[in-house]
Amino acid sequence: MKSLEKQTLVNICEQMAAHSWSDAELNELVAPQMGIITGLQDLLKALDKLRQIDLGALPPATNVQNK
Amino acid sequence: MSDQSIAFQPISALSRLLETGALSAVELTDLYLKRIQQLDGRACSFITVTENLARQSALAADQCRMQGISRTALSGIPYAVKDLIDVQGVLTTAGSRVFHDNIAAENAFLVDRMAQTGAVMLGKLNLHEFAYGTTGENEVYGTAVNAYDENRLACGSSSGSAAAVAFGLCPASFGTDTGGSVRVPAAMSGLVGLKPTLGRISTRGVTPCCWSLDHVGTVTRTVSDAALLLSSSACYDSLDPGSANLPCEQYNIALTGTRPLSGLRIGIAERFFFERADSEILAATESVMRSLARAGADIIKVEMPSMEHCRTVSLTVQMPEALSFHSRYLTERGDLYGKDFRAGLALGQCLLAEHYVRAKRFMMLYRQQTNAVFQDVDLLLTPSSPVIAPERGTASVTLDGVTEAIGNAMTRYTTFFNMTGHPAITVPSGMHSEGLPMGVQLVGRYFDEATLFKVATAIERDDAFRIPLPQPG
Repeated sequence: MKSLEKQTLVNICEQMAAHSWSDAELNELVAPQMGIITGLQDLLKALDKLRQIDLGALPPATNVQNK
Repeated sequence: MSDQSIAFQPISALSRLLETGALSAVELTDLYLKRIQQLDGRACSFITVTENLARQSALAADQCRMQGISRTALSGIPYAVKDLIDVQGVLTTAGSRVFHDNIAAENAFLVDRMAQTGAVMLGKLNLHEFAYGTTGENEVYGTAVNAYDENRLACGSSSGSAAAVAFGLCPASFGTDTGGSVRVPAAMSGLVGLKPTLGRISTRGVTPCCWSLDHVGTVTRTVSDAALLLSSSACYDSLDPGSANLPCEQYNIALTGTRPLSGLRIGIAERFFFERADSEILAATESVMRSLARAGADIIKVEMPSMEHCRTVSLTVQMPEALSFHSRYLTERGDLYGKDFRAGLALGQCLLAEHYVRAKRFMMLYRQQTNAVFQDVDLLLTPSSPVIAPERGTASVTLDGVTEAIGNAMTRYTTFFNMTGHPAITVPSGMHSEGLPMGVQLVGRYFDEATLFKVATAIERDDAFRIPLPQPG
């Protein structure tokens, strides 16, 4: 998986049904400077690890009680 | 009894004072209102004080008593709610400028339930903006501080819910818990924090942080008060799709005999839950373990599911759900959000749908794996948090050579059980040498809050874990 580029996020905002974010907010997602959030890049790497785990036919979680 | 002494009594004792006529509900309400006026400038726990509403409710409770109308254990007892929880005609700010004009059209389901008991609503409590964060730092409404050291945080996100009880400004409160937001501030303030089973208390009328992980919970002085609030507020709500359709019992947590926990199996998951923690917190937890063994419980080592991806899963569910709820407000008044919350919402925008669904499937896996652990034990014991309440402005903490964001550290032992939905309670485990409370967390099977209450009561009754009251003046 290649590193995330800011232009990818700009394209998502411009080309998909999405909210607009400031330049500074997009910069923060790609390369965190303010320490506000864990970088999106780190999260995407972690999600890539999750993707490699086979969950079979397990469905998503809903309520804990079947009514 | 002095006002100061009354202010720190548990609900059961206050109820007796009202029952015997030693104190009226109006007098009790005025006592707390006066303390709020005197002390909340320091505590910063309330956003709105509903003084008139409180006096009206207290007067009604007194009139019922004088007319001999049967009263409940909560009749005339003041309480307060986190300012995410709607009270008709009162501002719900959610701790944000975004909701500066958000007057609730009706009561949250739990507020209606509490009104039926005759309890007295004192006001709305401070929080981290939209409950997104565990420090409780709030640039709009101020930061609730710790009653044991005002240079430290009450922690959050239900910061006001813990600070108000700890400062003796109300005897009990409701908060919400999406990753530990009731349990952590309660533990940091030497209180009892309950996160019941997912769906046990309706979330209708509660501004969501994340629908899949949100639980309404309670902050109280004692375990029996937590049981009382749960049995009074939990009820099936047909208008809340997540509400559990199970009756909630009136809990009898009387412990008898010298070994009242005989036959109970308590699981200890050393891996993850006893790693990278303050050494005094670990020692206190081990001391609780020995105390429970003396009370008859079997202590059994267990292996929990891998926690490696736990925070990733939680974040991947939280942020898209938060973005979905806030979509409308982002368009209308996006510039009113705090920087950190906007950053989180932006992150939610950049995740793929499959990431979200996969995270929800991991939640299902965690539930199945945890239910399997509960085939061998009746409950789990962990520290409530690996750290004590941090000083204001603390960004990170280093434990065993690993540096971690303070918010992540504080909730490291609690977040997992929001994903699984199991009930959990935190009770004090003693005082740290730095003069701050420590706590342990008990986690039970679905809808088995009764066992949590029983074991938590055994811990509460052991003098070794009793902590002094704070001295806020």
